[in-house]
Amino acid sequence: MADHERRHHGPPRGGQRKRRYREDDDYDRRQRRRYEEPLVVKIRRQLLTIAESAARRVEDDVVIIAKSVAENYEDEEVKHTFIDIVLSLVLEQPLKIPFVAATVLVTNSLKPELVSEVLKTTGESLQNHINAGAWREAKLILRFLGCLQCIFEGGGVFPVLEELFGRAVDLQTASSEDLIGLELVKIILFIIPYIMASPAVGFETQAASLLEKTDIIASTPHTLVDLVTPFGTENSGPTAVQSVISLMQSQLQQEANNGWELICLPRTWKDIQISEKPEEQKPWTEGTKHPFPELTVPSPVQKGSRAIFPEIYLSVYANQEFETVPPTSNIASSLLRDVLVDTINILDFNRIAAAKYLIDVDCYFAPHTFVKRATPFDKLRDIPGDHATWKPEDVAVDAVFSQLFQLPSPGHKLVYYHSVLTECCKIGPAAIAPSLGRAIRFLYRSLETIDLDLSQRFLDWFAHHLSNFGFTWKWSEWIEDLDSPAVHPRMAFINGALDKEIRLSFAQRIRGTLPDQYQDLITEEKEKDTPDFKYSLDTTPYANEGKEIMQLIRKKATDDEIEPFITAIEEQAKSLGVEDPMIPSTDALVTAICFVGSKSLSHVLSCIERNKERLLSIGPKSPIARRQIVTSVMEYWAGQPGIGINIIDKLLNYTILTPLSVVEWVLIDKLEAGATLSKAHVYEMISGTVGKVTNRLRQIVGARTQAGLYEPQLSVLDETLNRERGDMQALFKVIEDSLVSVAAGSHDELMERGDGSGNLPEDEILRQWGHRWLRVFRRKLGVEESFIVEAMASATPVGTEAPPPPSPREEHSMANAPGDGDIDVADADGPIEIS
Amino acid sequence: MTATLFPTVDRLDRPSAYYVGKNKRRKYSQDDTNIVEDPNDNLRNATTLYVGNLSFYTTEEQIHELFAKCGEIKRLVMGLDRFNKTPCGFCFVEYYTHQDALDCLKYVGGTKLDERIIRTDLDPGFEEGRQYGRGKSGGQVRDEYREEYDPGRGGYGRAYAESDQRQKEEEEYGKGR
Repeated sequence: MADHERRHHGPPRGGQRKRRYREDDDYDRRQRRRYEEPLVVKIRRQLLTIAESAARRVEDDVVIIAKSVAENYEDEEVKHTFIDIVLSLVLEQPLKIPFVAATVLVTNSLKPELVSEVLKTTGESLQNHINAGAWREAKLILRFLGCLQCIFEGGGVFPVLEELFGRAVDLQTASSEDLIGLELVKIILFIIPYIMASPAVGFETQAASLLEKTDIIASTPHTLVDLVTPFGTENSGPTAVQSVISLMQSQLQQEANNGWELICLPRTWKDIQISEKPEEQKPWTEGTKHPFPELTVPSPVQKGSRAIFPEIYLSVYANQEFETVPPTSNIASSLLRDVLVDTINILDFNRIAAAKYLIDVDCYFAPHTFVKRATPFDKLRDIPGDHATWKPEDVAVDAVFSQLFQLPSPGHKLVYYHSVLTECCKIGPAAIAPSLGRAIRFLYRSLETIDLDLSQRFLDWFAHHLSNFGFTWKWSEWIEDLDSPAVHPRMAFINGALDKEIRLSFAQRIRGTLPDQYQDLITEEKEKDTPDFKYSLDTTPYANEGKEIMQLIRKKATDDEIEPFITAIEEQAKSLGVEDPMIPSTDALVTAICFVGSKSLSHVLSCIERNKERLLSIGPKSPIARRQIVTSVMEYWAGQPGIGINIIDKLLNYTILTPLSVVEWVLIDKLEAGATLSKAHVYEMISGTVGKVTNRLRQIVGARTQAGLYEPQLSVLDETLNRERGDMQALFKVIEDSLVSVAAGSHDELMERGDGSGNLPEDEILRQWGHRWLRVFRRKLGVEESFIVEAMASATPVGTEAPPPPSPREEHSMANAPGDGDIDVADADGPIEIS
Repeated sequence: MTATLFPTVDRLDRPSAYYVGKNKRRKYSQDDTNIVEDPNDNLRNATTLYVGNLSFYTTEEQIHELFAKCGEIKRLVMGLDRFNKTPCGFCFVEYYTHQDALDCLKYVGGTKLDERIIRTDLDPGFEEGRQYGRGKSGGQVRDEYREEYDPGRGGYGRAYAESDQRQKEEEEYGKGR
């Protein structure tokens, strides 16, 4: 006991601390509670969480923060923390810009010197982003400055906007296909409303004259708009689509006519009082004025690393019984969408934070913009006519879908947007799930008209999303569609989605989630881990040889041991008059490999690896036999095509298959009058194969356009590029020709169906599949071609010789320069990457 | 371009505290070498992920299906029981690029596969031998002493389940009272 007590009073002794008794711990903890948060930590926390809580008045927090930084102006750490976090929030959490700006405005009335420093850092950052062509970041900083308009001398932000407009005009005049100019106009349009909702007064004329000028650029449809329209143009979809900037242009003009009401934007500054006796003083917003940070906008402006395409306004909540999202006639639709999309795309490094800010969207706009969170759709009926019926959940989810369904491709991998929706659902399952349900129903109803690539994205998301939530979905509501033909887009969706679900889980599990009417869709084949080996049946031609080959592959026999049986099949086939005897021998070999390797992907890969030489030798001898490889794989895995296409993908990496052979297999050998085009896994296989080709080409373009490249590497790379570009075009040509015949209904197989009239009910569906495929692959080719043209515009011309050898010291550093041309892309015949 | 001085929220594509902690300990235990090494250095270009908390029944195909959403997979190595050579609930996924591995941490780590929340961690790269569980009975260490029943990972901890030792101990404990 004495010993025990001594410990209480004695000084802590290093290693023994760990073995303390519990009482000691409690004793220590009481002491620690006296710890007080240092000022800088407190300010950081307050600023970072500004406007996040609906329980606190943001106006109070704004004043508290401004007062504490102003009072502690001498504290360097406090000052720098404030400046850095202001800028970080502007760039990373754009929803908070108006509130951060309000804090800076109040600070200006208390300590204008501090605001000078904020403006200096902000101006430098803006300049850097403009120089780099980082237009999203430039937009956000300009928006922040726009919220501060009242503290600037002269025109404030307007002269910069005018200058940006000048650059846009130059670019548009130079080329009608220009897209950077459009981006600049977009920036201008998305800054004006924030200036007009700021405390600054008397800028109506400037805003109106700028708007008048942007009209011609914003309202003219860009040539590429058709390319990125989510719904087919032929059958105009359920929603009319408009480009984001033309929509914003007309909404702003309407606002200008209504005295810039901009109802949804928060005006925190209005409810802030700093002085105790407000009547005595002039308004606090009329504090010290600052010169606008100096800026140089390069001419022409830089194109950043992000690819730019026209953007379309898409909503999955259009045309509902009640408006759950702002209609496109209201500027709130554009303002909310723009800032939410930026939030989503910026915060990809923390999807949980992204989801949280989306769910909190109602904190960052004017009060009463939305109905209460989690208000059920049916309850919107009870809301009086003059109140908004917008659901914050729908607005948030809609913004994620707009990115998931962005054409030609969104800013991040599709799975990022899946994960944001998953997190939203985790944060508020009861509020979000019904919103997702309505979105799913809208998309399902649109399946016949939506772009094929988007319907594939929908399918992929749907299955992945369900896999995160116990595979529960109200399948019963689609039962009546089960009677439609297999090629109907809805039936194709159901089959595709179930297949994807099984791939993430297993057949029996998925079967258990389905109503009776769906049970037949989960065939027995899908439940078999190891599909049957057809050569086990003696009735199968070449059954004996097939079995022998399988046994040899299982025993890891050498190619010499397999050879006699391959020859035996080919000789038998020849005697039977088979046109290409390599077809049955290839079938036996590949089927045996699939069967022996059916246990897992690694098993089949090691079987392929062991028989690589024989497999590689098939293609050069017979292109038809090479396509037989695809047939054998896909037939063996007919019940689980996902595994089949995975194997095909690996065979492409080994160059046992060529992209052309896969495309020809689908679009020539197995077209089935176009019916094959309705299968989700077939689309997946072809877009995966084409994706391999285009990725490789992009790698070559990357190598060709790197800086500091000279002859002879330039010519070698240029030749590779031209050859492979030709191959790519040839591949797209095969796709085009085959699809055109399906779309026109002139395909032989199509003509031979039924009475040959082409008027069977399914014939029209098949033609539609042809159209939808065509649209996708024409767009893919267009995107790739324009990528190459754009990238090559800045490439070193062929024939450029290296400058005279530098002095020995410099030479050493040259050897490590990135552009030494030592890149292994010239070897076109080698596999890109072998797994 | 978006990298700012003070990230306003944490990044999900950092090595886990587990990895950093493990490598720090190793650094301090070697008294002779005074070279201060950042434990994250060998992860700078890492393309491999350690994936944990898988069910023993999750197949390579299922893993492939999910992880390919972040990029083409170069290699997939299933974690196996050292003695039975059956899956024991972890794997290594190798991508072709570092960016794909980071994206996977950001977008797939912490989501569900086969209805279990999976864990992903950046890994310096697979080496022969690391595919086996390091637990006493052949599986992963965490499955030795688990007190909760986890049907996806062999029920109770093996140290208890294997010889019914747990039950025996409990009975003896009761007797002693």
